[in-house]
Parts: sequence; structure tokens; C-alpha cells
Amino acid sequence: MPGGKLLSIKLSYGSKIEKIQILGDFFLYPENKITEIEKALLDTPITESEDDVAARVKKAVNDNNIELVGITPEAIASVIKMAVVQRPGG
Amino acid sequence: MAVDEAIAEQVRKNKVSPTIRFYKWAPSAVSIGYFQSLQDEVNLAKCKELGIDYVRRRTGGGAVYHDNKGEITYSVIAPERLFPKGIRESYRVICQWIIDGLGLLGIGAEFMPINDLVVHGKKISGNAQTRRDGVLTQHGTILYDLDVRTMFSVLKVSNEKISDKMIKSVEERVTRVLNYKSVSQDDLYNALLEGFTRGKEFSFDSLTRSEDIDARRLAKEVYRSEAWNAMR
Repeated sequence: MPGGKLLSIKLSYGSKIEKIQILGDFFLYPENKITEIEKALLDTPITESEDDVAARVKKAVNDNNIELVGITPEAIASVIKMAVVQRPGG
Repeated sequence: MAVDEAIAEQVRKNKVSPTIRFYKWAPSAVSIGYFQSLQDEVNLAKCKELGIDYVRRRTGGGAVYHDNKGEITYSVIAPERLFPKGIRESYRVICQWIIDGLGLLGIGAEFMPINDLVVHGKKISGNAQTRRDGVLTQHGTILYDLDVRTMFSVLKVSNEKISDKMIKSVEERVTRVLNYKSVSQDDLYNALLEGFTRGKEFSFDSLTRSEDIDARRLAKEVYRSEAWNAMR
């Protein structure tokens, strides 16, 4: 990430995301609201486009008045898609 | 960590003044950022073997090895309204106090957004901030000396981060006060104290009874609990 931040995603999935954790050394305020972003990503079909995944994150960010510093919804979506592509079938 | 939160609670209730703390970790400890995985970041077996503590912070940012003899840690706990609204700008304000303090020792540090201070491009200070219920808490560390071997043995350093920055070793990207000036830790503390308090009205004090009670409770219920530390 710009600013040297690391972002990693732990996923388990079948045809949809079943479990997800967003990890890293970024900043997000208020901190405990990260679970709202994770919740918003549950049940996302793994075939969903990167833009649509980013849109889910953005909605959760806006709905919960979350401020992201050092990460972006697009980066979260991109890492999720990479994770799914790299490990087909979970 | 528990003390910071206990002070923040009293600041929120307007029971105590904005507070600046300087402290050391005893025993040495690893702190991890709120969003990090304990298992992924910390070699827990090595911590146990060396008697090194570990704790999850309530702030984001990265994992830090706090050597008992190798650093000074600070916290600033104050109403949010005393600082710029933007988180990035408020990092800059408090980091400037560190820059001023190091400047008094003849060390030229620079702010490296988002949350680092560097000397000649090498990190000398890491900082992390949170805001809750109108209270800003920023804590950070200033490296005085560096025990690279211990640091490497307790932190699981990410290869990605290292290769990303095209660096070979922690010594090439991290520095310490002793690399630039042969001063005592007391000298560093006094310089930081001046940097943090210049132009401010202040007095020295210890924890209030409420802060002390809350800190002990929070340490037991939260910061020493596996539920908190292994939360992610």
C-alpha cells in the first residue's frame, strides 16, 4: 500500500465467502468497526467483480462512518480477488 | 496499554487534564496493532523463552519490539478538539514534538507520513493514534538502542515488506539515537520532555486513584486476556 502499509486477507470460501479477516498494519477508525466491513463481505459470491466487492466495502465504510488511513476499499477488493484466484476452491 | 485507556477515560470525563506520559516496558514486550494477527506477527514460543511480554494495542499500525533498555515510549491523551480534525494532520503535530526533542540533541528527524519519523531515511520512531468518545490517544516509541537479534527472534518480519522496500535487513531501515549522539537515556528523556512541553503549561503528577484502579482492572480484564490478545 502507499505509505508502506501491509494488508492481508484470510478467507475461507466455497462459491461464496464464508469467513473473512482483514489484517495488517493500517489504521481504521473506529477500530472495532472493522467487523462491519468483514460482515458486509460475508456471502459475497467469489465470482463477483472486483468493482462490486469494492462497492460493498465502500457501503460498509459509509454506513458505519469508518475512516480508512493507509488502506482503501479498492485495495481490500483487489487482495480478496487475488486470494480467490491464487487458491481456487479454497 | 491499560494505563493509556484508564487515563483516556478520565480525560473523557473531564476529571484530569490532557496528559503526556513517558514510560518504558518492564519486562521488554512486543506490541501488535489492533488489526494484526498475534500468531502471524509474534513468535510466542520465543517470547515465553526470553520472558518477553506481548500485548495487542487498541491502535492500528504494526508490531513493535519494545526493549526495556532500548527505547522511550510516550503517550499523549487529550480532548480531540485540541488537535487538528484530520488524523494525518494530528500525527504531524505530535510528531513535531519528537522532532523538536531530537533536534535539541542535534539529531535531524523528519516526519514520514503516515506515522513514522526518519533520520536520513531510516525509521527512528513509530507512532499510532486512536480517537474514541472525543478523546485522542497517540502513543509511540523513540529508539535509543537496538537489540536486532532479539527483535528478529520475537517478531515474524514479513518478507513482503522487506522486499517491497528493497532492503536487506532491519539495520538498513531502522536507526537509533545512539547512532548519532552518545547521550544517556536521561538526556534523551529530558530532550523529549522539552520538545513535548515547550510553550505549554504543565505539572508533573502520578496516576490518580481512579486511573490506577481502572488501569489494573483493564490490564486484568482486557490487555492480559487471550480473548483480547488473540482476537485476530
